[in-house]
Amino acid sequence: MIRPHDSIIVQSLGRFLIPVIQLFGLYVLFFGQYGPGGGFVGGVILGTSMVLAILVFGHDASRSQLSKKALHGDGLGMLIFAGVGGLCLIGGGEFLNYAHLHIPGLEIAARRSLGIVLTQIGVAIDVAVTAISIVFSLSAEEIIEDSTNG
Amino acid sequence: MSRHIPALLFLLPLFAAISMPMACLKHREWSRPLAISVLGTMIGLSLVNLSFVLEHGAIHYDFSGWAAPLGIEWVADPLASLILVALSFLGFVALIFAGAGEPKNLGGRIVHFYVLILLLISALTGIVFAGDLFNLFVFLEVAALSSYALVGVAGGRALFAAFRYLILGTLGASLYLLGVSYFYAASGTLNMADMADKLPHLLISRAVVGGLLFMFIGLGIKMALVPFHAWLPDAYSSAPESVSPILASLVTKVALLGWVRIIFWVLGAQAVLQDIPVLLLIGVLGALATVIGAVLAFTQHEIKRMFAYGGISHIGIILIGVSQGNQTGFAGGIFYLLNDAVMQAALFFFIGIVIFQYGIRHVEDLGQMGKQAPWLIGSLVIMAMGMIGLPPTGGFFGKWYIILGALEADNYVAVGAILLSTLLTLAYFVKIFEHLFRTPATVTNPQAVETPVAFQFSVLVTSAAILILGLGSDPIVGLILNHALPPGL
Repeated sequence: MIRPHDSIIVQSLGRFLIPVIQLFGLYVLFFGQYGPGGGFVGGVILGTSMVLAILVFGHDASRSQLSKKALHGDGLGMLIFAGVGGLCLIGGGEFLNYAHLHIPGLEIAARRSLGIVLTQIGVAIDVAVTAISIVFSLSAEEIIEDSTNG
Repeated sequence: MSRHIPALLFLLPLFAAISMPMACLKHREWSRPLAISVLGTMIGLSLVNLSFVLEHGAIHYDFSGWAAPLGIEWVADPLASLILVALSFLGFVALIFAGAGEPKNLGGRIVHFYVLILLLISALTGIVFAGDLFNLFVFLEVAALSSYALVGVAGGRALFAAFRYLILGTLGASLYLLGVSYFYAASGTLNMADMADKLPHLLISRAVVGGLLFMFIGLGIKMALVPFHAWLPDAYSSAPESVSPILASLVTKVALLGWVRIIFWVLGAQAVLQDIPVLLLIGVLGALATVIGAVLAFTQHEIKRMFAYGGISHIGIILIGVSQGNQTGFAGGIFYLLNDAVMQAALFFFIGIVIFQYGIRHVEDLGQMGKQAPWLIGSLVIMAMGMIGLPPTGGFFGKWYIILGALEADNYVAVGAILLSTLLTLAYFVKIFEHLFRTPATVTNPQAVETPVAFQFSVLVTSAAILILGLGSDPIVGLILNHALPPGL
């Protein structure tokens, strides 16, 4: 179980830093097509920002059901990835061959760009969720157990 | 559409595994039908794939449409397709078996269990199909990680064995990766076909020889070849009963298949027959493994450990087969690999049922079973015949072809080793049957309940498969000889 950090300095800095880190993570994620970056790194940065939030504000800072269900978000990321890949298959190309992503009104280059962004979003969700799950299962096993088996 | 099947065979269990925690969030009892239907679909797809490959030749599938040396390639040749049929069939039966004993066996972690099993199946599919050395490493790692977790999924005593398995398995994977990096440094490519073109000019390079040694030791740990086998008996005997059949039947054999691919498809038959004496090395180690494994099996008291050592001894027989450097031996080795996968699954189903129903773990207690389950003992007789290598079973024909191959290569040491290990296998099965039949059944277990249909199904299907592999040995060995031989052998 992780309790909120009791230092005011850490809390205020966290309040300021976490959104900045998340913005940077999103930038890395979407910049990945044009330069260094992409789904994995973006996901790691997003994930660690949430880990920082857990460390600063404690485990149960957010009591909403959504935050518990978010732990199963790797299914969502995978579905996005599999969906884009599957659409390419249906379109007649190989798995993840974005040129066969049949979206009307888009050139082949634009299709590739869109396909890459979508799959990278899926990857980022998976990586971020995995990072949080690791922290959760290290700190409080019963939460993982309950949410999976309850 | 058929050319996409190799990719689908890998992606289906992968996606099912990762989406399962979300799909089964509310209803965790959905996880079992979901996993079983995935494996059922895989059986169908792998059969279609095998017939397509036999008719039209190997499928080379480029992910994302990037052509081979640059992109990620999937090679579904007849050998891979044949192994994949066995893999999906055994995975299916093992899942049906696992379902019957899951609640008390897995500490309630049912969704975890099915996720890990599906990940393991997809990773093994990846090892079988991977067309480049690095992806082989990735899938070895995924398979190994899910095996560690599966060994420890029930917690308790198994965690120690899982940790030991993790240390040794990681060592093996690192050595393999080191070997791959040596090969990459020497040849500048990772794709197997591309490397096979470049390696013949590089055989004098020390990087290639060193890399080959590292890969061999790494994969040797993964396939539990004798000097590196210490992790296996502990891991398989302390793993939950639902888990050990699938680990014992598939994981070590698929690692061995990866090694066969590297020797005969990457180095090439020409090189290993003439330039690098690697076949001699694995032949000698295989002969040692088959004898030492059988001796160790004979000395065990815990039945699961006995069967685990039996598996180690059979890895040696397969290695003897593929190392003879002729077609008969190679076909016999691959055929024996299929048989051994089925036999190991059957043996661990048997011992799983004995533990679930009668709580018996040691050979000496087997007499307590009495005469309650004739079908179970009957199928054990078939398994024993297969393990020893008596005629109507597949085990006999596998050993027959391997011995023919060894005689063809004038390798009498290998023949002697196989015969010796056959005698030792006979000895430990006599030990089992002696305790089963001779000990007067004074204690009958009052808790013995009706056996679930799933248990009967899994044991009977695998025993039948041992017989069918024997009766159908001609067409299967013919298929290997005609289609699945490495080029140049």
